[in-house]
Amino acid sequence: MTAKKSLGIDTEELASCVSCGLCLPHCPTFRVTGEEWASPRGRISAMRQVQDHGLAVDESFLASMDSCVQCRGCEPACPSGVPFGSMMEATQAELARRRRVDWRQWGFWVLGHRWLLNLLSRSLAVVQRLRLVPSKRLGLPKIPLVQERLRATGNDVWLFTGCVMDAWQRSTHASVKRVVESAGAGVALPGPGAACCGALSLHAGLEDHAHALAARTMKALEGSAPILVDSAGCGAVLKEYGKHMGTPEAVAFSERVMDVHEWLAAQADQLPSVGERRRDVTVAVHDPCHLRHVQRAHQPVADVLSRYATVVTLDDEGLCCGAGGAYAAMQPELAASIRDRKLEAINRSGADIVASANPGCTIHLANAGVVVRHPLEIVDEVIDYDG
Amino acid sequence: MKFRKADPLMRDLRRVLPSDRVRVAPLERSIMGRDASIFEGGRAGPVCFPISTEEVQGCVDAARRHGRAVVPRGAGTGLAGGAVPLEEPVVVVATKMNRLLSVDAEQRVAWVQPGMINLDLSRALAPFGLHFAPDPSSQQVCSLGGNVGTNAGGPHCLALGVTSAHVLAAEVVLMSGESVVLGDAGGWTPGLDLRGAYVGSEGMLGVTTAIAVRLTRNPPAVETLLLAFDSVDAAAQTVSAVIADGIVPAAIEMMDKNIIWAVENFVGAGFPTDAAAVVIVEVDGLPGGVAAEADRVAELAVERGGSVRRATDDEERALIWKGRKSAFGAIAQIKPNYYLHDTVVPRTRLAEVMNQVYEIVDEHDLQVMNVFHAGDGNLHPLLLYDGREPGIMDRVHAAGSAIIEASLAVGGVLSGEHGIGIEKRDFMPLMFSEADLDAQARLRRAFDPEEMANPGKVLPTGASCADVKALDNIPEGVWG
Amino acid sequence: MAVVGGRTQWEIGGQCPEETRLVRAPAGVRAFDPADMTIRVGAGTPVEELDAALAEAGQRANLPVLPGATVGGVLAVGRDDLHALGRGRLRDARLEVVYVGDDGRLVTAGGPTVKNVSGFDLCRLLAGSLGTLGLLGEVILRTWPRPAAQQWLAGPCDPVELRRSMYWPSSILWDGEITWVHLEGHESDVKSEAELARSLGCEPTDGPPSLPAYRVSTGALEVGQPTGSYLVQIGTGMAYVSEPRPIPDADPAVVALHQRLKSEFDPRGRLNPGRDPLAG
Ligand SMILES: Cc1cc2nc3c(=O)[nH]c(=O)nc-3n(C[C@H](O)[C@H](O)[C@H](O)COP(=O)(O)OP(=O)(O)OC[C@H]3O[C@@H](n4cnc5c(N)ncnc54)[C@H](O)[C@@H]3O)c2cc1C
Ligand SMILES: Cc1cc2nc3c(=O)[nH]c(=O)nc-3n(C[C@H](O)[C@H](O)[C@H](O)COP(=O)(O)OP(=O)(O)OC[C@H]3O[C@@H](n4cnc5c(N)ncnc54)[C@H](O)[C@@H]3O)c2cc1C
Ligand code: SF4
Ligand code: SF4
Repeated sequence: MTAKKSLGIDTEELASCVSCGLCLPHCPTFRVTGEEWASPRGRISAMRQVQDHGLAVDESFLASMDSCVQCRGCEPACPSGVPFGSMMEATQAELARRRRVDWRQWGFWVLGHRWLLNLLSRSLAVVQRLRLVPSKRLGLPKIPLVQERLRATGNDVWLFTGCVMDAWQRSTHASVKRVVESAGAGVALPGPGAACCGALSLHAGLEDHAHALAARTMKALEGSAPILVDSAGCGAVLKEYGKHMGTPEAVAFSERVMDVHEWLAAQADQLPSVGERRRDVTVAVHDPCHLRHVQRAHQPVADVLSRYATVVTLDDEGLCCGAGGAYAAMQPELAASIRDRKLEAINRSGADIVASANPGCTIHLANAGVVVRHPLEIVDEVIDYDG
Repeated sequence: MKFRKADPLMRDLRRVLPSDRVRVAPLERSIMGRDASIFEGGRAGPVCFPISTEEVQGCVDAARRHGRAVVPRGAGTGLAGGAVPLEEPVVVVATKMNRLLSVDAEQRVAWVQPGMINLDLSRALAPFGLHFAPDPSSQQVCSLGGNVGTNAGGPHCLALGVTSAHVLAAEVVLMSGESVVLGDAGGWTPGLDLRGAYVGSEGMLGVTTAIAVRLTRNPPAVETLLLAFDSVDAAAQTVSAVIADGIVPAAIEMMDKNIIWAVENFVGAGFPTDAAAVVIVEVDGLPGGVAAEADRVAELAVERGGSVRRATDDEERALIWKGRKSAFGAIAQIKPNYYLHDTVVPRTRLAEVMNQVYEIVDEHDLQVMNVFHAGDGNLHPLLLYDGREPGIMDRVHAAGSAIIEASLAVGGVLSGEHGIGIEKRDFMPLMFSEADLDAQARLRRAFDPEEMANPGKVLPTGASCADVKALDNIPEGVWG
Repeated sequence: MAVVGGRTQWEIGGQCPEETRLVRAPAGVRAFDPADMTIRVGAGTPVEELDAALAEAGQRANLPVLPGATVGGVLAVGRDDLHALGRGRLRDARLEVVYVGDDGRLVTAGGPTVKNVSGFDLCRLLAGSLGTLGLLGEVILRTWPRPAAQQWLAGPCDPVELRRSMYWPSSILWDGEITWVHLEGHESDVKSEAELARSLGCEPTDGPPSLPAYRVSTGALEVGQPTGSYLVQIGTGMAYVSEPRPIPDADPAVVALHQRLKSEFDPRGRLNPGRDPLAG
């Protein structure tokens, strides 16, 4: 263990940036602002000023850190392998300690309690219909009033259902489950313990809360069956439990986690053929950051999807859409400018619909009027289950 | 130095730019204290983000009225410290001026703003079948204003020339606040080649606010060869033989054993790890000449004991280039820091100087990797080190100086593409006489009599060595 | 003091006063390493002599080969060859220049290698300076392989369309009716491009037309009433006219820069008096 200083960033990690700037164009906030403080290199430099040179944590420091989407687009772009995500998580954890009470703590606590989330969501759904909450401005999706009920069909694989997604987009899980089953696997569903992966808490620096959620999730998904995840953000965190908790159980757990598309791509020969219902739609695949930059497993989405639809890739090298968990709600202006770039790329691609394997991106993009579906919803509609 | 809102300079700058585009917080200034070079902790004054020529003029005017220097900055990827601010100047950042202003595909000219990223321009030109020829390895991030500032080169500048040959005109804000167009976007007008004198002036003659670039047609045919050799000598001799044979390939890049090994581990581009050196040769143009030249290159390589792999399709070509372009990433696996040198030697002396480089590096107990533009003799020895090792920087610098001296001794030059900046300012007298340097200072003064544009760079008369060493400190005090 | 070259463009940019002391720059090839593709010559070397020396090694420099003209004169006048479109500009042909400054000191500008960004690019500044900033004594030029094949064609075709369809013609000239195109390179490529030119209405011809006497920028063609004949060098911004044309006024800021350069480099007006590069 190396010594930790004021921000608690590992000194080795902090020293690893050589300031080359090659990450800059891959950072969504730099792309839209052109300002160094909103870039990975600038943020690292800011962390160094505070941790190594004793500069005060002031408003400009907070602005630099809080404007980061934590998309980690900078990581694969960095030739020096700088672990930016981990440095940012450490910084956010320290900032959260300094801020002491953070309203987000309460908000994210709800995510860990499915009954409460469902209750709140249902009331939100009612309120939305009464137009009491301006959904567009808050970036909230239209929440379904009545949820479909999912039933387990075996125990070959787990399907991780998560928190927000389960409450707001359960029909997606249903589609995913059907597609997975069509490849011949029985699907097990976790109990209420695995309610939330802890991603949002982790990104906000609420480490303890995140670790508590992780412990519960691991308990609820025991055994050795692969754990399939259909939300890129959750998958990224589940895959990093091992790194975060450092225990052998956590490491073993993380090794079982797969993005559902990764698993499907590996079973390609088991997948059903294209049915008559195949539509001639052109689908643009939006690579969620947590799939592309963190899990580095975005290719399987296109691989699976292209068996069932015409797939086009966007020409922006997987630049973030600006959703970033709670980011769109916290930094609405930056999030919207970042999204505008993405919308331009979508327009250029000429696609009819956009496929996104992350609920946050789906909501964020849909709010701008784009038709966004989960890739497996599209597949689900095209598969001829009887044929 | 503290800056308060009531500071007269701040007041004037905020008259020109909205306050969110003039940044003075200590942190924001300290972030601007460095570029991609090894010089840390320069001192920036107010950091301005203009979006138009008029705004740049306003910033320069305000700075002049208050006796402040101006440092123009692009993406900050310069390796010679050209954009590192000394003594709290007004930093004018061009990143928000990043639009493509116009494209004339018929005349093959585009006007761009200086903050536009090099690769973004070539991407925008793809539908026209055109591109901007200079392709620095940093092209995904460096700005065209920065390319003009450093007269940047790249692998594909061998046949077509570096940035200067691809800039027809530049709109420049002089330190008087006047805006002037140097050169002629239409091609030619009588008079001195002011444009030529301006390109490569490292921000010391003015601030570029728009550039007319010459566009190059995409070649109809391309052949890429990967040549592998048992010795660096054989590789270098093949490079000379190709040039001497009357072939001017689009690119000739060379990589030595250490870097081949690192790259293979990193990306697996299919480079032979048992080779002492590989040479990538790309020829392009019309199909007949391309085929003949590729055959001849292969022959010359085989005659010198080399083995030849020819890319059969675009995918294989892309893979070979990926290997070349991943060099920086590959290095990080070995040591956390690198110092990238940049000198040029006559092409016929390549092998000799490379061997000297190996000796120098051994003497200083360092590691080196060579990946460079062999076709024009542009060496890029990468010295690897771990910055936390005590005393290491002294050895790195000593080795660097020895490499520079060895290059000059065979009739080479200080820099082929990164520029002089702070890095090589004090080496200038090794290459130029007092009269030579005086002539360069005259050029400077004709454009900028008060020497307010990016002072302390390139010409050794400016700031003393002590100032550069002082760069380790960060600015103090609270600005508000 | 002024340098005389071959006197082929002696009066360009204005007259030298009578009492001007005239000197000649040193002549002769100093060093030529064919494998390095650079050559060092005295500025007084006739371009024909330079060309002959290079031809022996199958090379050439990107300088117009005019009977009588000297390397220094060509560089001082700074006018491009007819083939600037394909071969590049004259200003990119030289690597290093050694000149005599106003105080009599020798100054080296640029560097001997094909690539160099050490310091300011004084070398390019001397292009088109008509010797008003310094007297050129010695230069290092970049050389190129002589192409295996070449061919002129001419015909009544649209020069813009011709340029669009050809990959890399070395020259396209247009006199308002006829278009001339020059191709050079590998034999099979010249052949196939010539086919293309023929399909657009051009036929092989011996060489370019004779040039009208005065060179102007294409911008000048648009000023005033056209008189006499003209020839446009497509894609380079240059044209030749048979009747002199008024040169469009330069931007006052550009004029001011010229004046400041002159007063920095030659405060006492000793070098090539009477000449104005802007009038060239
Ligand atoms: C990984 C890596 C690889 C590289 N590879 C190459 C390579 O192959 N070839 C090469 O030539 N270089 C290379 N470089 C160096 C660097 O990318 C180039 O020098 C580039 O041209 C700098 O552009 P920039 O926008 O980052 O400019 P900056 O670093 O911001 O500035 C560079 C200089 O230009 C001046 N300048 C910038 N903008 C303006 C403006 N608008 N007006 C006036 N002056 C201005 C600055 O004052 C400074 O002196 C590399 C750098 C890195 C980090
Ligand atoms: C019929 C004709 C056709 C032409 N066609 C072309 C063409 O196709 N392409 C083209 O590019 N050009 C062309 N030119 C112009 C050509 O560039 C000049 O004629 C030539 O460069 C002048 O060289 P010179 O040695 O005769 O110089 P001179 O005529 O002797 O001098 C010209 C000027 O340069 C100065 N000068 C000469 N030598 C030096 C030196 N060493 N140092 C400093 N100053 C010096 C002189 O003082 C004088 O001001 C043509 C000219 C003519 C007459
Ligand atoms: S995580 Fe995303 S937003 Fe944050 S610095 Fe990296 S690229 Fe930029
Ligand atoms: S790419 Fe990596 S090393 Fe380079 S500036 Fe960005 S984080 Fe630092």
